[in-house]
Amino acid sequence: MSSVGQQSYQLSDYLEKLPGTTFRKLYQQPSTAFAIFRRMLPPLAKVFVQALLYMPSPLLLAELDVWVRAEGKMQRDRALSILRSLHIVQITPPGKDKPQELQLTTNFKNSLRLALEGGGSHNSFGVPSTLPVDPRIDIAYLDSYARRKWEDILHYVVNSVPVQGEGGGGGSVGGPKASVKDLLLIGRLVERRHDTKAGVGITQAGFTFLLQEANAQVWTLLLLWLEAADRAKGAAEQGKAAAAAAKTDSIDMLSFLFMLASLELGRAYDTDALSETRRNMLPALVDFGLIYIPREDTRQYFPTRLATTLTSSASSLRSVSSGFSAAAANNPGDASSLGTTPETSAAAKGSVIVETNYRLYAYTSSPLQIAVLALFTQLNMRFAGMATGRLTRDSIRRAISFGITADQIISYLASHAHEQMVRAAAATGRPVLPPTVVDQIRLWQLENERMRTSAGFLFKDFDSLEEYVSLSSYAEEIGVLVWKSDKKRMFYASKFEQLRDYLKSRKKAE
Amino acid sequence: MVKAVRGVLVECEPAIKSILVHIDSTHHHEFIIDDLDETHLFVKETMLQVLKQKLEERLKETYRPEEPLEDSE
Amino acid sequence: MPPKRKAPSGQTSAAKAGRASAMSTPGPATPRSVDSSIMSDGDEDFDEDVSEAQREREELLSKEADEFVNKFTLGGKRLQGQKDDAGREVRRYDAASSFFRKRDFSHLPLKPDHQNRPLWIDPDNCTIVLERFNPLAEQATDFLITIAEPKSRPTFLHEYSLTPHSLYAAVSVGLRPRDIINTLERFLKTSLPDIVRKKIEEHTRSFGKVKLVLKHNRYFVESADAEVLQILLKDKVIGSLRVQGSSDITTSYAPTMGGLVIPGTQNAAGVRQADLKEGEKKSGEGGEVPNEADLFATLNEEDDDDDKEAVHAFEISDADVETVQKRCLDIGYPILEEYDFRNDDVNANLEIDLRPNTQIRPYQEKSLSKMFGNGRAKSGIIVLPCGAGKTLVGITAACTIKKGVIVLCTSSMSVVQWRQEFLKWSNINPDDIAIFTAESKQKFSGSTGIIVTTYSMVTNSRERSHDSKKMMDFLRGREWGLMLLDEVHVVPAEMFRRVISSIKSHSKLGLTATLLREDDKISHLNFLIGPKLYEANWMELSQQGHIAKVQCAEVWCPMPTEFYDEYLRANARMKRTLYAMNPRKFQACQYLINYHESRGDKIIVFSDELYSLKQYALKLKKVFIYGGTSQSERMTVLENFQHNPDVNTLFLSKIGDTSLDLPEATCLIQISSHFGSRRQEAQRLGRILRAKRRNDEGFNAFFYSLVSKDTQEMYYSSKRQAFLVDQGYAFKVITQLANIEKTPDLAFATPQECRELLQRTLVDNERGVEDEIETDDLFGKAGGGRGRGRGSGKKSGNGVRRTAGMLSELAGGQDMAYIEQNKAANKALKAKGKKGAAGAEGKSKFFKGIQREKEKARARTG
Repeated sequence: MSSVGQQSYQLSDYLEKLPGTTFRKLYQQPSTAFAIFRRMLPPLAKVFVQALLYMPSPLLLAELDVWVRAEGKMQRDRALSILRSLHIVQITPPGKDKPQELQLTTNFKNSLRLALEGGGSHNSFGVPSTLPVDPRIDIAYLDSYARRKWEDILHYVVNSVPVQGEGGGGGSVGGPKASVKDLLLIGRLVERRHDTKAGVGITQAGFTFLLQEANAQVWTLLLLWLEAADRAKGAAEQGKAAAAAAKTDSIDMLSFLFMLASLELGRAYDTDALSETRRNMLPALVDFGLIYIPREDTRQYFPTRLATTLTSSASSLRSVSSGFSAAAANNPGDASSLGTTPETSAAAKGSVIVETNYRLYAYTSSPLQIAVLALFTQLNMRFAGMATGRLTRDSIRRAISFGITADQIISYLASHAHEQMVRAAAATGRPVLPPTVVDQIRLWQLENERMRTSAGFLFKDFDSLEEYVSLSSYAEEIGVLVWKSDKKRMFYASKFEQLRDYLKSRKKAE
Repeated sequence: MVKAVRGVLVECEPAIKSILVHIDSTHHHEFIIDDLDETHLFVKETMLQVLKQKLEERLKETYRPEEPLEDSE
Repeated sequence: MPPKRKAPSGQTSAAKAGRASAMSTPGPATPRSVDSSIMSDGDEDFDEDVSEAQREREELLSKEADEFVNKFTLGGKRLQGQKDDAGREVRRYDAASSFFRKRDFSHLPLKPDHQNRPLWIDPDNCTIVLERFNPLAEQATDFLITIAEPKSRPTFLHEYSLTPHSLYAAVSVGLRPRDIINTLERFLKTSLPDIVRKKIEEHTRSFGKVKLVLKHNRYFVESADAEVLQILLKDKVIGSLRVQGSSDITTSYAPTMGGLVIPGTQNAAGVRQADLKEGEKKSGEGGEVPNEADLFATLNEEDDDDDKEAVHAFEISDADVETVQKRCLDIGYPILEEYDFRNDDVNANLEIDLRPNTQIRPYQEKSLSKMFGNGRAKSGIIVLPCGAGKTLVGITAACTIKKGVIVLCTSSMSVVQWRQEFLKWSNINPDDIAIFTAESKQKFSGSTGIIVTTYSMVTNSRERSHDSKKMMDFLRGREWGLMLLDEVHVVPAEMFRRVISSIKSHSKLGLTATLLREDDKISHLNFLIGPKLYEANWMELSQQGHIAKVQCAEVWCPMPTEFYDEYLRANARMKRTLYAMNPRKFQACQYLINYHESRGDKIIVFSDELYSLKQYALKLKKVFIYGGTSQSERMTVLENFQHNPDVNTLFLSKIGDTSLDLPEATCLIQISSHFGSRRQEAQRLGRILRAKRRNDEGFNAFFYSLVSKDTQEMYYSSKRQAFLVDQGYAFKVITQLANIEKTPDLAFATPQECRELLQRTLVDNERGVEDEIETDDLFGKAGGGRGRGRGSGKKSGNGVRRTAGMLSELAGGQDMAYIEQNKAANKALKAKGKKGAAGAEGKSKFFKGIQREKEKARARTG
């Protein structure tokens, strides 16, 4: 599984749904154009954009074939299709008299040029604050702040899993702000349940969320937020004009996110230079941990690593976790402060060992990772920097009963496999996870599927074969037939009313 | 005269069906309304939870109980 | 013909009760009685005619040992010191702490260079986690195997636990508490928690302080700690037992390994260099962490280095040895036994040495170095997987001590094997090694020698033949330098007690593959024989090519509905027959036999269920051996399996679980087994570990367990595997065998055939089922134990004889028709064998010898 791929997919999913006009507005911001360029494009598409950027006139589509080798045609087509769906290029329709031409869309071209050249007065890359900055607010401080905020959110999701025994993971008292909790509810990462301590229970989407890389998680939440904002505005102000205004808002919101990604970590920026929409976004961004605003001086905001890595490419995504390791290093007594540098920290290398006898060892001191493991592991002991446990039938079945799938567990274990496992697997040419354990996790899931039940009605004692055939065919037609036996002249249907009516009308007709 | 009987359709493997039928036969037939075929049973809606629980108890006999993590042998 | 039943009804119901409890509480209550095969030989009959007085004494001893063991096992068999609230470090809590309840030890700070140290320890339960990929893992492993019990040894991280018994063992091989504490401190990523330090001190304080030494044929109670000796002397029981006249406590110096060389080791090749080497090692030391491969070399050197440690001793008389041992145990100073054989000039020396070309393997050397660590022979148990050369370890020990040796085996078959091995590996004069079995009561000619016998022969106190009596007097009347106890895990503690009290030996070495018993009596062995000196790592031996690599699989066989319906209704006994007779399982077995025979494998199929054993073997036209197979027929069958290219599959009942050496076998299929016995699973796996072809490129042996789906067999199967899984074996679950339906002549392919099979199985097994039990234990009480009602006239102590009697009838009793077929099947071999005639027979002196003895015995009785 590539969670990086998954997460960029989510963002592109959102973007692809946007109409062309939205893109035109989005691309008015150099920071947005630049972020989209950096983050959303495969390498070949980037090459195309760079080539087209300073081209005085449109390029003949056919000429592209000269750039790309024959065997690369598929990549070329894919690159073009992405560029088109993001409204970065426009291609003239095929016509008889004129060959097809390719060029960058105007706003995108202008903004990207501005972004690369600098200049202009667009403030697209943020206006640094001119006020004096508190020296205590350094990168380490911001990292630990962001980490706390984000982990609060994740803990809230994790803790919505009922833990057996004396309440599990009860560490995050209070948890995230109510607005964030609402967002998680609206986004169906959790749902209201009365049988849990927190009053909410995790959903399958919530599990997917938890098992993602940090960067993907941030985007998932931000997109939920944008969609919720759209819906809220749309619903509140029914008028056409108002809806249009709401749209502008969400575009501005998205632009702002892209802008945050271009800011410099550790630097203070001016809140006064922001549009009203953007200023209104600040409290929520503080709640998410994307920015920090000093209590004493609300005219300054500091982007955290969560914000500045939003549009990082896959390889630099690691910087989120290594940054957090560095943050952890500032907690005295924390394991990872000793002898581990951010570069070699377990978080960056993968930390989980699964043995053939189902024992699991995780080189981690992160309460959050431990809480995630606790979703499907029976935990046993914990040392500084290390947790031990076992994958058991009960622990896996419990996870499955909450909607997490065997494949999700397996891919989590595979993508977090400790370097020793990866190395041993490479040396022997065997899979990273012990195949017997993988099989067994799947078998445990299959146990759940051995019996299915459905509520409904058994139709029997038909007067004639003809009556049976007629009614069962009708049931099939309207999609309520679940089971039938011609031999026994019985069938089972999930609903009953329509069939009754059908039968009545049939009797009448006779 | 055609009848529509309210109840739960259980679809399962033959072995599970055998166990369910056996549970039913040792409990005064209070669970199953109709034995439909190799893999289907028609069961009283009110008794479904009890039946599921009894099935789980039976199946438990075929799995090793989790060892205590203390590992005391 | 209905089977004859000798068993009075009272016993039958007792047996039933035992079995019922086995079903409900599998594991510890697993019934054990007697293996028929072995019991069919008169010499191995278990003795039930023990005098009441002796029984009472044994019961008392057993109870006391239990109590003693219990002292050590309070609080879940772990070290449990008093909680020191004041001294406890403050624990940190975070969001994840509650997942671990009380087992969050993340508050223990790591040392700055923790990455270079391989261990964590849980201060409450003393579980130790070892990083196998740490640079110091090898040294730490050597250390841990000496001080702790291995619990989990897969690939990357191992777990051990520190128990009172393991500490006892550590102390007895010469580690001092401060060695244990310092070395742990060096290997741990955190500082050694105070609470653990205290526990170690507390539990080693009394251990290993007192030794019983036979010197110049007099028993001395010895201690390095004069104070301890004073405590003993002031004790009201022990004090009065001191031999009067031996004025005071004598003081001498503790022995060191000195010039002792274990034969067959590298040192033996260059004794003179030994001192030099040690000097080098010493200078190499100095860093924080020991770099020596063997920590004990270091520790022993340290001994040299220290001022020679003084030891103090007082003498006790032979007659009081057991009383003193017991008393010392009571007051918390368990006695260790050591034999200073180099200074024994009373007992004659035995002319024995390993043959010059014999080289023992590193792990064998390691285990022996624990036994002879300080130049004396320590009593204890060495645990090596089957096929890893336990016999050679025993022989090497004998060659080191060079005094009279008595070897105790579980069957007459292995008696012969042991003698042969002695002749193969050592230069012992054949006249100096004799056999004592029902058929053969030889003595050695010289002043000393080796006697190989069975546990039953020497514990049998019923009226013996004149020969036996004379032989027993001979055994009892002398002192033995070494007592070798084979397969110690199967012999009940009471039996050891009897062996040990009737035969006087200076040192005892127990050998076994698995120190596992489903009952609790393992701990008794610690005190009856001695602590576990060494336990090998299966995976490591397999990676080094000493034992075969094995692919393990569990094959799930669904039951046809009619079978399964019947299964659900059946009683416990019939359930077992039905899940063994599952036609899908039969097909899987057929398929696997076909597949592996075509690959050139030799296959053993194990079935505990005699009925299914025969049904399978007959239907598939394969040879088989079970308890009722006559000795000569066994020989013919085994001979053919080993050498006849047309005989590639052998069906075995549980009589083949242990001590059957078939290095040709490369594939093993289990179709029915003994409940959840982890030991049986390990023993059976052992049958293919010594595969001849194990060092062929890419060679794998195969181990299949066929289990009927949705039956209790699934439960038992995973329980059985627990031990092997913790040794690092992985069982692959196979839910579907590819193209099984294409197997030629696939049995029970139609529903009609399945129904017939079901009907026949039900009819055949409706009667006589109770008699068919053939359990894997050689000895041991069946079910209820002593209190069981006995038929008048016929006394049966442990019920063992009864079972044996029944089992011998089985050969003729089960079902005439099948017996006839059986004979025909195995007879086919005989006819063939005769054609190949003398050739096959001439190959094995062993079989011929047994055959001859058997005939002689028959001639005598007839």
